[in-house]
Amino acid sequence: MIEFLVYLFTMAGIWGLMSLSLNLQYGLAGLVNLGHIVFFMLGAYVSTILVVLFDAPILLGMLGGIAAAALFGGLMALPTARLQQDYWGISTLAIAEIVRMIFLNTPLGSPYVGRAFGVSGIPRPLRGLFDDSSAYNLFYLAIVIVCLALTYLLVRWLAATPFGRTLKAMREGDAVPQALGKPVASFRLRAMMIGGGIGGLAGALFAHYNAYIGPEYFLPVETFIIWAMVILGGAGNFTGALVGTFIIMAIYNSTRFIAPWLHIDAQVLGPLRMIAIGVLIILVILFVPQGLVSERRRRYDR
Amino acid sequence: MLQVLVDGLIRSAELSLLAVGLTMVYGVLRFANFAHVEFATVGAYLALPLAALMPLPIAAVLAIVGAGLIGVLADRVVFARLRTASPILLMIASFALGIILRECVRAIWGPSPFFYELGVLAPWRVFDLRITPTQVAVIAAAAVAILGFHLLLSRTRLGIAMRATADNAALAQASAVNSERVIATVWFIGSAFAALGGVLVGLNTQVKPDMGFGLIVEVFAAAILGGIGNPYGALLGALVIGFAENIGLAIDWSSVFGAFGIQTDPFLYIPTGYKAAIPFVLLILTLLVRPQGILGARR
Repeated sequence: MIEFLVYLFTMAGIWGLMSLSLNLQYGLAGLVNLGHIVFFMLGAYVSTILVVLFDAPILLGMLGGIAAAALFGGLMALPTARLQQDYWGISTLAIAEIVRMIFLNTPLGSPYVGRAFGVSGIPRPLRGLFDDSSAYNLFYLAIVIVCLALTYLLVRWLAATPFGRTLKAMREGDAVPQALGKPVASFRLRAMMIGGGIGGLAGALFAHYNAYIGPEYFLPVETFIIWAMVILGGAGNFTGALVGTFIIMAIYNSTRFIAPWLHIDAQVLGPLRMIAIGVLIILVILFVPQGLVSERRRRYDR
Repeated sequence: MLQVLVDGLIRSAELSLLAVGLTMVYGVLRFANFAHVEFATVGAYLALPLAALMPLPIAAVLAIVGAGLIGVLADRVVFARLRTASPILLMIASFALGIILRECVRAIWGPSPFFYELGVLAPWRVFDLRITPTQVAVIAAAAVAILGFHLLLSRTRLGIAMRATADNAALAQASAVNSERVIATVWFIGSAFAALGGVLVGLNTQVKPDMGFGLIVEVFAAAILGGIGNPYGALLGALVIGFAENIGLAIDWSSVFGAFGIQTDPFLYIPTGYKAAIPFVLLILTLLVRPQGILGARR
């Protein structure tokens, strides 16, 4: 049970990074990124490739993964100036799938590594220092929590700076920030790069925790799960994003406890938990569109 | 080469049925409906148990009507309450609805693929072309549906009301068009067309839970390429995407590059694993170069 809780919290921490990153892009800047998983994928794959294929130190690999995802975020931001939100959203979905297709078709080093086989045996940082795997998992949880806490502070701080306030203004349309002389395109670029970097960190942490990655981890539905976390928690509020993450992760993992109790076939259970998340999101959109922890907005009209 | 054209035509026929519905919902309700492709899956699966009881064509018609009604129901339950919400929220809601539909199918029928019972049909040979009776039926069914849709849009009061609402909802309402009725009709026709597309895909390949979602980028690419909101544009877009997918793999790109003076390997083909990337790249190029589409969007 303790083992499972450590696993759950570690995964919730990693996904928490993803939802903080999406909340920065969507909640603050209003960027409808439907290919958010691409940052996670790039962070995981680039770090793995650097460490497994090029024998780089794990820290360097992770930094490489973060840099790759951040650069890719910048690349995705370039067409935003010309596109409407929904068009841009669809193109991000397509971009993420193209990147996944590339990893699905490219062998990494040998014919049976990469492609659909994925990469296994990814080294775990400082594993040699621990004899006991459960002690090590606890240590890894600590790493994830430190990363999550630092990122949380970073995005909270960013949101309070003039940069963050301009992003919030851009969410309502470009006209006002442009009238104030803000370079909107460069702000979007930076929001995408920072969000991309955070997503890359999450992916790298996941790859070195799970020790295996494959293309099946980075399906479009994962992006939806991150969206569910942000919408449920409350877009624009970073604490809300973390609350949403935890609730969705709990639902996602609760099935293993409910299953023996309800006598449901495992083949039905997987779809059922996705249906539960889908219904929850629609209920939230219908009845509490601002989410569980709504964004605190200053009001000037009273 | 002829075979490539036939394959392209079949693909276009399937895609056009999905793209027309997507573009109509966009035209009237102004949001990207990510649940749209799931009605293909729902339709294809509904036809399965029915086909065990009756001939496949009748089963398909019933399944299509059923999927259309589910579309209307989805609009009543979810989207009717969100008429004034932001398109982004509608998009997320439709993504959630899509997952609910797909996972319901998976929960009921399981993850393994099914096939329609057709028996063994010998392909017809015309010159060096092989075409099965099923493929002819696929093209014919799509052609009849599209022709019917064209007549509906151009010749009936309902079709004119639909076009008017897509052009300018407020003005249409002021001219005594019942916009809620138009919206319900659009959901019914859109979902039913998607379901027919799903049955045709199932006839040609197999019926599986991801069959609809696997088409999402192609369908969006077709709708956007032709100009979203414009049904005839969606047809054109479907033709472009369907043919591009098949021709793109058949072309020796070294001669194309050679024409521009770029030297490459003597035989340069797109690997089959990247077939699905062709519509994705076309979509992104369209969005970058001409986001209003070939025929221009209605917005």
